Amino acid sequence: MVDSVSRPTHGLRDWLLQRFTAVYLGCFLLYLMVHFYNQPQHDYQQWHDWIRHPAMTIASAAFILALLVHGWVGMRDVVLDYANTLRARLLLLSLIALVFIGCGLWALQILLLSAR
Amino acid sequence: MANQQSAPVFLNLFRIRFPVGAVTSIAHRISGVLMFSSLPLVIFLLDISLQGPAGFDRALDYLQTGWLRAGSVIIAWSVFHHLFSGIRNLLIDIDCGVSLQQARRSAWLANIAGLSMTLAWLWWIL
Repeated sequence: MVDSVSRPTHGLRDWLLQRFTAVYLGCFLLYLMVHFYNQPQHDYQQWHDWIRHPAMTIASAAFILALLVHGWVGMRDVVLDYANTLRARLLLLSLIALVFIGCGLWALQILLLSAR
Repeated sequence: MANQQSAPVFLNLFRIRFPVGAVTSIAHRISGVLMFSSLPLVIFLLDISLQGPAGFDRALDYLQTGWLRAGSVIIAWSVFHHLFSGIRNLLIDIDCGVSLQQARRSAWLANIAGLSMTLAWLWWIL
């Protein structure tokens, strides 16, 4: 991905990825809103059972993946717009990539552990 | 920096006028960055909430604190505004509502819908 600092050739692919992930994120978000509107009170057991349901685990894992892709394209666009030196871009992009990879692995670990 | 010649550079924000569509657009960006910034905290809360009943109660306790309640309002606005202006962007991508008048109307709609849902969220948590 460091290539995209100097080579703006992935534009269309990233643009499409951002749109497709946006649709999935929007649908999942809508489902979350409906779910919590209907069932505002959860106790631990309900909460845990809901998340470890296989369909929910898969849908959540896909959500996290889509979120990371969507967020990466968005944050990268922001950095490339406002940071204009190669050094600043590399620094910020590496930092953001680190946060994204860390959050992604962390979230997947949570899902896998709760699905046991 | 071979692409610098082709990239338009006019980012003095104080010289740019802000019609409603620009407000929707920059707010889309700001809300995205805010959600990114809150990601570690959200995942942390998800983590402890799934570590048994005690962890679940701890997560709820955290969410009851003033800072996180205030933060949740900002994140709620970010989610709702990003969602509504994002739907607007997708519709405009498929040539829906491209005329200036329609685009302005949908920009107002997205801004107001985002703020209204934030108020609903505020009412919900108080």
